[in-house]
Amino acid sequence: MTARRGMFCCLLLLLAGAARGEPVSVVDFMGRTVSLPAPAQRIVALAPHIVENLYSAGAGDRLVGVVSFSDFPAAARDLPQVGSFSAFSLEQIIAAQPDLILMWGSGNGSGALAKLQRLGIPVYVSELRQLADIPASIRLLGKLAGTETSSEPEALRLEQGFAELARRYRHARRVSVFYQIWHDPLQTINGEHLISQVIDLCGGYNVFADVATLAPRINLESVLARDPDAIVAGGMGSAHPEWLDHWHRYPGLRALQGGLLVVNPDLIQRPTARVLAGARDLCTQLQGVREIRDRD
Amino acid sequence: MITSITQRRHRARQLLAALAVLLPVAVLTGLASGAVSLGPLQALQALLTGDGGGQAAMIVQQIRLPRVLLAAVMGATLAMSGAAMQGLFRNPLADPSLIGVTAGASLGASLLIVLGGGVLQGFVGLTLVSLGAFVGGVLAVLLVYRLASSENGTSVATMLLAGIAITALAGAVGSLLEFFTDNERLRQISLWKMGGLDGANLPRLALASVVGGSVLLALPRYALALNTLLLGESEARHLGIDVNHTKLALIGWVAVGVGTSVALVGTIAFVGLVVPHVVRLWIGPDHRYLLAASALAGATLLVVADTLSRVVLAPTELPVGIITALIGVPFFISLLRQRHHYGMQT
Repeated sequence: MTARRGMFCCLLLLLAGAARGEPVSVVDFMGRTVSLPAPAQRIVALAPHIVENLYSAGAGDRLVGVVSFSDFPAAARDLPQVGSFSAFSLEQIIAAQPDLILMWGSGNGSGALAKLQRLGIPVYVSELRQLADIPASIRLLGKLAGTETSSEPEALRLEQGFAELARRYRHARRVSVFYQIWHDPLQTINGEHLISQVIDLCGGYNVFADVATLAPRINLESVLARDPDAIVAGGMGSAHPEWLDHWHRYPGLRALQGGLLVVNPDLIQRPTARVLAGARDLCTQLQGVREIRDRD
Repeated sequence: MITSITQRRHRARQLLAALAVLLPVAVLTGLASGAVSLGPLQALQALLTGDGGGQAAMIVQQIRLPRVLLAAVMGATLAMSGAAMQGLFRNPLADPSLIGVTAGASLGASLLIVLGGGVLQGFVGLTLVSLGAFVGGVLAVLLVYRLASSENGTSVATMLLAGIAITALAGAVGSLLEFFTDNERLRQISLWKMGGLDGANLPRLALASVVGGSVLLALPRYALALNTLLLGESEARHLGIDVNHTKLALIGWVAVGVGTSVALVGTIAFVGLVVPHVVRLWIGPDHRYLLAASALAGATLLVVADTLSRVVLAPTELPVGIITALIGVPFFISLLRQRHHYGMQT
């Protein structure tokens, strides 16, 4: 019975595929199987980083709806918006007539998946936690859109890029790093955060990897006590953080000897292909710190 | 149950003496504890001689000292402001946030965070966001005061209601801003709202001391007027109190004090509301003692709460408002249980 029904389905899908392309089926980041009768032609993406990854997969032109702050690549700014990642309009999503919705697992709010599923449109859930998830996600998006010829080379480029950094710094002397998301209140990230993985990749280690919460507020004196080799400032947008100057008040800090670094937060705080550029920048800067420490 | 005036006065003096001992103890404990463990002796040595080995001097003098003192000054300002507001409004629910200062300050800060002021530097160690908070707080109070004033004077009841209205309006506009902002700024707004003393440094402490010190010196001058106001406004007027001048002065000082505190340490709920109640339950409503004792108790509570917030989950910091409530509320409830009729008599 099930075999026959399966065959029947396959036949149907094959027929549909013959008309519009092959049926596709992928497993998303929640372990759900997402099946489409044909590669998606009209896609709504509910998070800025998913929009960016879809462009990396070569399927940016399929987007018919994005959320606010989808600002990269520049072409994404002109796309119709269906709301913000935390408050999107179901009506506008329906009006966009998508054949695939890309959802952000932890960002779109609880209950979002159930609401979207009720629309009867296939929903793919993206939830990137590891560096390796970025190329994996681009690959899956390429498969869903039938643009593997673009997504596969991009995924490979990222995997090779990360692997090369890992190879280069695997045996390098480890430098301790404090990543400063914000200065007032002082805030950092723990070991589970993507940025912490980038630091590991560069042969560094996050001095606050052990803290319980993902983005904890941190005590100033504990930074002095853990005395990191490097302090990396993130910040907001392209604003240059003058916060690093504050550290000069504590002349005993090791990081004052060439270890005050800035990495463009746009390159490192969003789980997209740009992380490779951010990682290369951070690795190079940390290598500089390493050489200064080796000289001492 | 009715305590005689001499008994109350005696108890007030005892409480003032006890708090005068407790506060320095709390300050010293705050200086000796933190994410980095230094012994009390090492901390004392670092404080006095600037030499405690390693980074002890830096930690005690540059990080802990400004922070503990800022907590003391702001705790005292908030609690004394709360006591003055409860006296002025003759309402047990009055606290400094009731005249709109906290909501206005939150809105000012949110506005500047959303406009990108969070990354810009302001003056004397203050960010533009703190300046926005101060301006927002003071503007909200001015608005509330204007709404409640007519040629017949200022109505306290209208002012309470106007305060509630302005608070709701500022809250709604603030939520609207949060709704439209991105994740990052949203996080900054929520962190800012939680409040905390981790931004303490010497310029901020200096500013807090000048403003807070002026408020702490100014408010007790109205102690007798507040006592007379307890009889009712027209009674006070007949007894020769310039009621409108007193109102304006008290509200002005409270707005400046609380506005500064919100700008420097965010919104720390509870200290301004419950500390004066606890003290009043203890020593009665004589403002000559109540104001000073509230200030000392508020300072002690905030210093202790901030010390705990630094130590409990070190190196992570807990928002200090959580701890002030966790320490203060059980204490307040137990006092309330002993005197059921308290809410009626105020």
